[in-house]
Amino acid sequence: MEVFKTLIVILLSSVLVNNYVLSRFLGICPFLGVSKKLNQAVGMGISVTAVMLLATAVTWPIQYFLLDKVGLGYMQTIIFILVIATLVQILELLLKKFSPALHKGLGVYLPLITTNCAVLGVAINNINDGYNFLESMVSSLGCGLGFLLAMVLFSGLRSRIDESRVPAPFRGLAVTLIAASFISLAFMGFAGVVDALFA
Amino acid sequence: MKKSLNLKSIVVLTSICAVISLLLAATNALTAPIIEKNQNAAANEALLVVMPDGTGFEKIDISSYELPATVDEAYKEAGGGYVVKLTTAGYSSGFVIMCGVNADGTVSGAVCLSSNETLGYEKTFGDNFAGKNNEGVDAVDSISGATKTTAAYRNAVKDAINTATILGGGSVDIRSEEEILADNLSAALPAGEGKFTKLFLTEVIEGIDAVYTAENGKGSVCVIGEQFIGVDENGTVISGAEGDTAANVSAQMALLRASEATVIDLSAFADLPSALVSASKTATGNYILEMKGAGYGINGGDDYHPASGEYIYIRVSMTKEGKIIDCLTLSQAETPNFGSACAEETFYGQFVGKTESDYDSVDGIAGATLTTNGYKKAILRAFESVKILEGGAGNEE
Amino acid sequence: MKNNSNMSVLLKGILKENPVLVLILGTCPTLATTNNVAGAFGMGIAAMVVLVCSNMLISLLRKIIPDSVRIPCYIVIIAGFVTIVQMFVQAYFPALYEMLGVYLALITVNCIILGRAEMFASKNNVLRSALDGIGMGLGFTVALCAMAFVREVFGNASFAGIAIPFLEPYKIAFLVKAPGGMLVYGLLIALVYVLTQGKAPLKKDFSCAGCPSAGSCHTGACMKKGEEQ
Repeated sequence: MEVFKTLIVILLSSVLVNNYVLSRFLGICPFLGVSKKLNQAVGMGISVTAVMLLATAVTWPIQYFLLDKVGLGYMQTIIFILVIATLVQILELLLKKFSPALHKGLGVYLPLITTNCAVLGVAINNINDGYNFLESMVSSLGCGLGFLLAMVLFSGLRSRIDESRVPAPFRGLAVTLIAASFISLAFMGFAGVVDALFA
Repeated sequence: MKKSLNLKSIVVLTSICAVISLLLAATNALTAPIIEKNQNAAANEALLVVMPDGTGFEKIDISSYELPATVDEAYKEAGGGYVVKLTTAGYSSGFVIMCGVNADGTVSGAVCLSSNETLGYEKTFGDNFAGKNNEGVDAVDSISGATKTTAAYRNAVKDAINTATILGGGSVDIRSEEEILADNLSAALPAGEGKFTKLFLTEVIEGIDAVYTAENGKGSVCVIGEQFIGVDENGTVISGAEGDTAANVSAQMALLRASEATVIDLSAFADLPSALVSASKTATGNYILEMKGAGYGINGGDDYHPASGEYIYIRVSMTKEGKIIDCLTLSQAETPNFGSACAEETFYGQFVGKTESDYDSVDGIAGATLTTNGYKKAILRAFESVKILEGGAGNEE
Repeated sequence: MKNNSNMSVLLKGILKENPVLVLILGTCPTLATTNNVAGAFGMGIAAMVVLVCSNMLISLLRKIIPDSVRIPCYIVIIAGFVTIVQMFVQAYFPALYEMLGVYLALITVNCIILGRAEMFASKNNVLRSALDGIGMGLGFTVALCAMAFVREVFGNASFAGIAIPFLEPYKIAFLVKAPGGMLVYGLLIALVYVLTQGKAPLKKDFSCAGCPSAGSCHTGACMKKGEEQ
């Protein structure tokens, strides 16, 4: 029961309170770049979630059973980024071979994810926070879902911005960032909610 | 693309990886000792503040010891001393205090690492404890206006000394005051089944400091100094005292039981203070008054701490000559952590034994002038009420 | 003549092609590490060191690295330098290391660095690549410090950790929080547009060049932004 509670807290706090995009500023680039249309946002969000889960499933054992064992902790960054890049490549190849339809839907986003800082960030943070394997997986799932949530919400907002007249200096990225700021402000309201759930 | 993925690519990528790995290994060899030194220094810095002469610290696994609940971490110093990190509980809770204890049981230093107070004095107050032992800690002067905070600090330092004693192989009573009281009461009157409430006194009972009655009605326990005297429901002393003392306790308890109070009809009196809510008179002629005091809840209120709109309700018993026998705060809605201290015995207990001429000398509540003034005014009205009820005239209101 | 063009390589990163305010690269550290000036400056310098080193090494190896494995090679080189910088910061500036936390490791995926490797270093000689790295690094640092200045001074009434008492009653605490970062960034971009009177290559939209994979992605759109020297 206690384990279950911890997992719920990790999941909810990574989706809502410590949302990677809106409060930790990881994965901002795809958040701003690929959130113009809802279907794109969903595709990107699902791809990121899948890669985060895969990356954590691979990097966690590497850290604890390989790097820590032989005292090569300082190789963390370099190994993790290579693992993520390789995983993305493999995933793309597999999708292409076994599910061309899915590849058509998600494939275009996969290369973009290689150097998405949210993926590397999740992998490193799970180690830094001292999570066990299960907690790490739940945290990755939460971060991915949080990313998806932020993308979907923001794509709705952006379609409205596109239709409105914006003063010249704010056109393009400036107004997009300011709109993102308001979503982030709204998410600040979740602070404390998760702790209070089990208080 | 496929064609160019030849042997050369693999060789180049592999050699780049190898070179970079070598570079990393070299850098690591260079920086690792410095990083480790930094981390040790950072960890030891706080420890050295409270134990400047410490030569080396080792963290102790405290889970295998029975220590005061406030203790978070403990470190053993190479010279036999200990550094203990504690978080205070209770009124001034949440202070994180680091305290060093030398091998001889004296405090080497104490420092407050974090607190939820913004007053600032708690940062340097720890210096006063240096060189003190367990008894000396009590003698450290409180900071005026911060009695509670300094008491919390003092208890933390005591806990640290006790922890050091336990870790050093000694044994110490780590029960809190409440636990000690409860244990003593149960020992004096096992029939009470461990559930006692402090009796609100309506009689002057000479030589007895406090009376606790068993909630199940099986008697009571009288406290005289360090003595706990059990009395059964018939007033017979069953433990803790003999001879004259036992006889006196018996007599006093009989008096207490005989003093049934009758409610006074206030409408028969003119000019009673409006602060008087109700009054009763005991068979022996003493009065039990219920007063309401206008503290911060009525007279105060600002943007940060709104007034609650509630009076402070006080029960006070006094002799017909106007000497307070007992005093108790029944209810209050003053500002938490400030005026709310009027509900604590350390405050209202001060009025016991006071008369109209010296009641004003009791210590006020730090940071809650309006609460203190409202409370004292209610006590003054109680003295006036008794005079009127006795047939005299009260002071001009 | 040659000297002049070297100069322009150095300077363009600071103003004309400022990576943060004009090219809109490296948004994550820009938002995450700018709630105080000290952290922003440290981040800028750390990124600059990595950028200069990786630019130089990649330029040096540009003839050796086969095209098919260049991205993995770049990533390995960059991650290697990031780790080296990380270790030095941890050893000699532990306070900064605490402040930047995971963002220090995430310089690896800072799109400015991979982007410059792909767009510039792989096509230019070592000197020019080094100058480009210094220029871009300075531009990154300047932009970060400017943002941090606004956020810290007005959000926390302090500068590089030193309190500014007379601003204390007027501070807008929201600025140092996450939403404040995005707001200030948006306003600064608009301000740069006004200052350059619209002559800055305003991004009509957030294209591939802004994504962390600008260098590695092959969708083509971002390649157009490649080196035009």
